[in-house]
Amino acid sequence: MRRQFKDTVLKLAEKDDKLVLLFGDISVYLFNEFKEKFPERLLNLGICENTLISMAGGMSSVGFFPVVHTITPFVTERSYEQVKLDLCYNRLGATIVTCGGSFDYAWDGATHHCYTDLELMRLLPGMEVMQPGSKKEFDVLFSRSYNNGLPSYLRIAADEHGLDLPVEFGKGVVIKETPGAKVSVLTAGPLLGNVHKGCADLPVNLIYFHTLKPLDLQLLSRFVDTKFVVIHDAFGLFEALTAACAVKAEYHGLPDEFCCYYGTLEEIRKQLGLDPAGIHTRIQDAL
Amino acid sequence: MDTISKEIRENILRISHHSGHGHIPTCFSIIEILRSVYETMDHDPKNPDWVERDIFILSKGHGALGLYCVLAHYGYFSVSEVYSFGSFGSRFGCHADRFKIPGIELSTGSLGHGIGVAVGIALGFKLSQSSRRIFVLIGDGESNEGTVWEAAMVAANLGLSNLTVLFDHNCSQSRCLPINQAVDKFSAFGFDVQTVDGHDLVPLKKALQSVPDGKPRLINAQTIKGKGCPTLVEEVFAWHRRSPNGEELITLLGELHATAI
Repeated sequence: MRRQFKDTVLKLAEKDDKLVLLFGDISVYLFNEFKEKFPERLLNLGICENTLISMAGGMSSVGFFPVVHTITPFVTERSYEQVKLDLCYNRLGATIVTCGGSFDYAWDGATHHCYTDLELMRLLPGMEVMQPGSKKEFDVLFSRSYNNGLPSYLRIAADEHGLDLPVEFGKGVVIKETPGAKVSVLTAGPLLGNVHKGCADLPVNLIYFHTLKPLDLQLLSRFVDTKFVVIHDAFGLFEALTAACAVKAEYHGLPDEFCCYYGTLEEIRKQLGLDPAGIHTRIQDAL
Repeated sequence: MDTISKEIRENILRISHHSGHGHIPTCFSIIEILRSVYETMDHDPKNPDWVERDIFILSKGHGALGLYCVLAHYGYFSVSEVYSFGSFGSRFGCHADRFKIPGIELSTGSLGHGIGVAVGIALGFKLSQSSRRIFVLIGDGESNEGTVWEAAMVAANLGLSNLTVLFDHNCSQSRCLPINQAVDKFSAFGFDVQTVDGHDLVPLKKALQSVPDGKPRLINAQTIKGKGCPTLVEEVFAWHRRSPNGEELITLLGELHATAI
């Protein structure tokens, strides 16, 4: 998906000289072609996430479309006040594109795990929050959002869900609808791949979101008579759902403790019960 | 201190007394800095959104009352409006809102933000090959924040000579974390640094009119918190965020007008 980020901004930058990339010393080699074509519009500013965000606000205020890119926890958790004030409160548009969300850097341990980003960003007035689960979703969502004058957050994932789905900002997708189902499973981002497998033989509805804010409440209203089970390797979707409407809802994802494992993304997901078998068991319990 | 600076300070005292709000000593610290900026940069109070204007950001946002009174002096609005300062429904908050007040370019209040935004604006002007300039006023206390030094490193690395940082060096953190050798620090970070009397318009404006050579510029304005009223200077920490009652207002106005012109 990170290559798609490169391809998408390269395509857009050809036609839009206001698109500027502010990097926190990451992905630089991947963007060599961009740097060669637009040397002044890719700035690797170093390891200073707070300043990246503040600068993006300043550049936006004088007509640019800045894109800040670095590792998820450092630009969301560390720089939260810069995002809150310099972008959202001042209503200055910028796009934050991160990598390393949830357990994409599993092997690096708890300092590099980040599962709060989506929820933190969702809480900020004016912010759009997206968790694309495929290259196609990233391309459509980024292209639509980067120049709309609003602060936007997109997380690049290390894996993809593997499904070819329609993509429209703010719209959820019904992956599976079972007549008379008592449970509707909700998920977001690339974890859909495991969730899809985990509930393949179960009589449930499966609803997918790449946009967490705004959440597609109109779609959800069709399923309010069922119990919702949110399966997500992050915070944000469950909170968005339960903040919006009084529904029966359960969450399966992160426990209230640090995940002090290393290894691979798949191993961490299995440990948390977010592999297909663990998801299958959890949904059976809900049923 | 000239009559204009006294008049602005009198407005600050009267509005703080009327409203019960305001950081008077810090406002008194920055009046001449603000005046020198607004008498140097390109701006139009009758057309505050003029596209070729220079930009000023008050990063130490708790000096908003001082900025309001200075903006009123230059014709952005009437000072009588500022008497609603801090009240429900007023557009003049204790920290300024850029969507409510002409001349306010960034809503500030939390310290350590303005310089980073200013660096982004300076970079934007540079990429646009614009001759517009950006001025940002920060405090020495504010410079306890690490973000100030992050942004300073980036500004110097990018050679943003269109950026002027006005450093209100009023020793506000002398009781806890003073910024020692501030000039040396900013020089070491790659800034062109000039030190001036922050209450004297002549050297302030001269420094602002100089043309930096490929570097961002820092004007180290040596100032005094509460300048103009000996009581505020001598009891500076007690007055950090305090408004005068009627008796104190009379005393402070007397001290202000007794100051030699």
